[in-house]
Amino acid sequence: MLEPIKKNWRILLLIVVVVAASLALFAPQFAPATAPGEDTSEAQQGLTNLQYGLDLAGGTRIRAPLLGYTATEVDFDEDGPDDVARAVADELDGVSANDVSANIDERAVEVTDQSVDEAQFRAAMDASGYEYGGIRSGVTQETRDTAERIIQEKINQAGLSGGSVRQVQSITGEYFILIEVPGEERSDIIELLEERGTVQIDIAYPTENGTAIEEEVLVQDDFEDIGTASQGSEGSGPYVPVTVRNTAPDGETSPAHSFQSAVVERGFPSAYSSDGVRCDFEENEDDVSVPCLLLTVDGETVNSFGMDSGLAASMDSGSWAETGNFRLTTGEFSEAQTISINLRAGALPAQLDISGQGTSSEISASQGENFRFYSMITGVLAIFAVAGMVFLRYRDPRVALPMIVTALAEVYALLGFAALLNYPIELAVIAGFIAVVGTGVDDLVIIADEVMSEGDVNSRKVFDSRFRRAFWVIGAAAATTIIAMSPLMVLSLGDLSGFAIFTILGVLIGVLITRPAYGDILRRLLTVR
Amino acid sequence: MVAIDVPEINYTEYSNRQLVAVPLAVLVLALAIIGGWYLVTGAPANLGLEFTGGVELRIADDGEGNMEERIETAFDQEPDSIRSIPADDVFVVTFRAAEDDPDGLANDLEDQSEAAGFRLDSLDQVSPSFAADTAQTALFGIGLAFLGMSVLVFALFRTFVPSVAVVASAFSDLIIPIAAMNLLGIEMTLGTVAALLMIIGYSVDSDILLNNSVLRRTGDFYESVSRAMRTGVTMTLTSTAAMIVMAIVASIFGIDLLRDIGIILAIGLSADMMNTYLMNVTLLRWYKFKGVKR
Repeated sequence: MLEPIKKNWRILLLIVVVVAASLALFAPQFAPATAPGEDTSEAQQGLTNLQYGLDLAGGTRIRAPLLGYTATEVDFDEDGPDDVARAVADELDGVSANDVSANIDERAVEVTDQSVDEAQFRAAMDASGYEYGGIRSGVTQETRDTAERIIQEKINQAGLSGGSVRQVQSITGEYFILIEVPGEERSDIIELLEERGTVQIDIAYPTENGTAIEEEVLVQDDFEDIGTASQGSEGSGPYVPVTVRNTAPDGETSPAHSFQSAVVERGFPSAYSSDGVRCDFEENEDDVSVPCLLLTVDGETVNSFGMDSGLAASMDSGSWAETGNFRLTTGEFSEAQTISINLRAGALPAQLDISGQGTSSEISASQGENFRFYSMITGVLAIFAVAGMVFLRYRDPRVALPMIVTALAEVYALLGFAALLNYPIELAVIAGFIAVVGTGVDDLVIIADEVMSEGDVNSRKVFDSRFRRAFWVIGAAAATTIIAMSPLMVLSLGDLSGFAIFTILGVLIGVLITRPAYGDILRRLLTVR
Repeated sequence: MVAIDVPEINYTEYSNRQLVAVPLAVLVLALAIIGGWYLVTGAPANLGLEFTGGVELRIADDGEGNMEERIETAFDQEPDSIRSIPADDVFVVTFRAAEDDPDGLANDLEDQSEAAGFRLDSLDQVSPSFAADTAQTALFGIGLAFLGMSVLVFALFRTFVPSVAVVASAFSDLIIPIAAMNLLGIEMTLGTVAALLMIIGYSVDSDILLNNSVLRRTGDFYESVSRAMRTGVTMTLTSTAAMIVMAIVASIFGIDLLRDIGIILAIGLSADMMNTYLMNVTLLRWYKFKGVKR
């Protein structure tokens, strides 16, 4: 019973791999993940579970750096990051504290205002008195992460399924944000990126006829600074620190003062005279018992807050407006993050430089579909060419037929891999498949020639020794291909990493699974019994 | 049915010098072409959009009037090239980078093509600084791949001359297609870079096979060579056939990436056959017989 399995395990392994690939390709369990509001059949493009990349499905790709300058290895002198940022911002004319931020973990200070050039920033850093290592263009890791999150959020909010946002690094060390959205036009995506969401704070307050709302108590421009979400200390929950501007042109009330008087007028100080009073807007939206602050994004209320008694008291006394600081407290840290993003949304923490150093491309859906079909034909014809050459050379179907079948099995296994990993198939990946067929058949030719050289194969032992000899060459050739391709895998060269990944994967599948199996098949067919 | 019979070259009739002269001459010629290209155009090859920056539009042919004329009049800026792809009913129009504002250029072109009533199938915009960065990365990648391959080859054979033979023929395999690209007017794109890297991988196969056959197997030198050649030539011809078919089909359909990869690999593989069985064999013969005159 076990003997035939042991004897033919290489062929069996190949069969197992092919079956597994079929499962990955066709079984609904491996279907691509669906975007919100999308059912499985929509997420599936065509008959298989394969995902197609932009050039085969249509869509938009944008790659651009975030503009700004970062001072590195800054000595914070035990000052808090906000103080440092403010000190540097004060040295820069016309730059608001929002556009300068300091990050104590990265020991970096960055400026994201477009009007500031490197020399001005250097001068401001010198004038601020903080020691620093150097100035580089670009922004901090934290800012990149935030920008990535905001863009992702925007894409999700716009309901664009399958969109992805990533950071990639070029060889010169510069970071780029890479945005890919299938099925959308380039101009729409750029518009979406540049669009500022309107964020405002409203007040909901109780009246005899239920909840009334005073809108636009604070709008986005009223904030001087929007902090990043912080994990609250004991007692208080996670929060987003914000500062409301206390400056205004002559004769006008500053936003901080008008916010303060609105809060007092709507009865916050009396309602929140003791701790423990909570805003109940969520429970009784139409009939609140106490006034609440509402965070409204694009006309939709995303969160409601009450007010801490100390803060309410300082607003009552009129002293709050001098500093303009308060914290938007939330229950969950992730909620605080969302609020911070929402307050900034539209305003990316730094400008995405699509025109200066970026690239963008758009492929229409119909062209994508055409390319999908054409590249399939191209691939099939290339395989026919290989098959034709092999038949011409060997004129022995016992040698040639398994050769072509194994080469096809290799591509099939690769497709299964792609479906399993949800790796989008692109033109470059298809080129990789064709390259794999090429190297694959090369190696099978080596095996066939080696095994059939020097007369008939009359025993298993003879076969094995010849097969091993052939395998040395194949292994060496595979190793060089992998080495030659590996730089492409890591360098950021657009589509080519897909090409490299699939060529390498193909070579590995070939050396480990399909070529040994071909050897076994050939042995069964050729060994003189 | 025609059968492929790998011809047996009678190497004994030719001296080392005669054998090596052909591949060396081709290599020198290729280097001269690339050098000349560099002197005249400032770049060793025709750099494509990805390496220079600019905008490429694919405009659908709606069958109304002479598309080429319409395209020429539609845009304010003179297109650098207009190419028709009949199978896909598409015209590919490229504009070189405007140093100052490539995204603005892309938007202008988008508006202008809309005004002219064109349907855009795709639009690619690459800024010059990004393109320069890509070029540098690509060059670095090829260099790294070549270095890695060389180290591996030396590690595999651990003898100087045979290893150098492999590396030298791989070098020539890279240079000849680049020169051929210049002459054929093929642009250096990311696709061609991938193809050049593939050549490093592919071409070494037949060299390793030859070295292995000569160095690690017992038997007469010429017998070993002809044995390796029978296998090697079959391999290379098979791959070349696949690449030629891919190049032809992909150019009919206008899939540039696959076409470029196909052409470059076909040229590279042909160059490899010459280099392996003229240059590499000669170096091995010289190594085996230590320059004994015959």
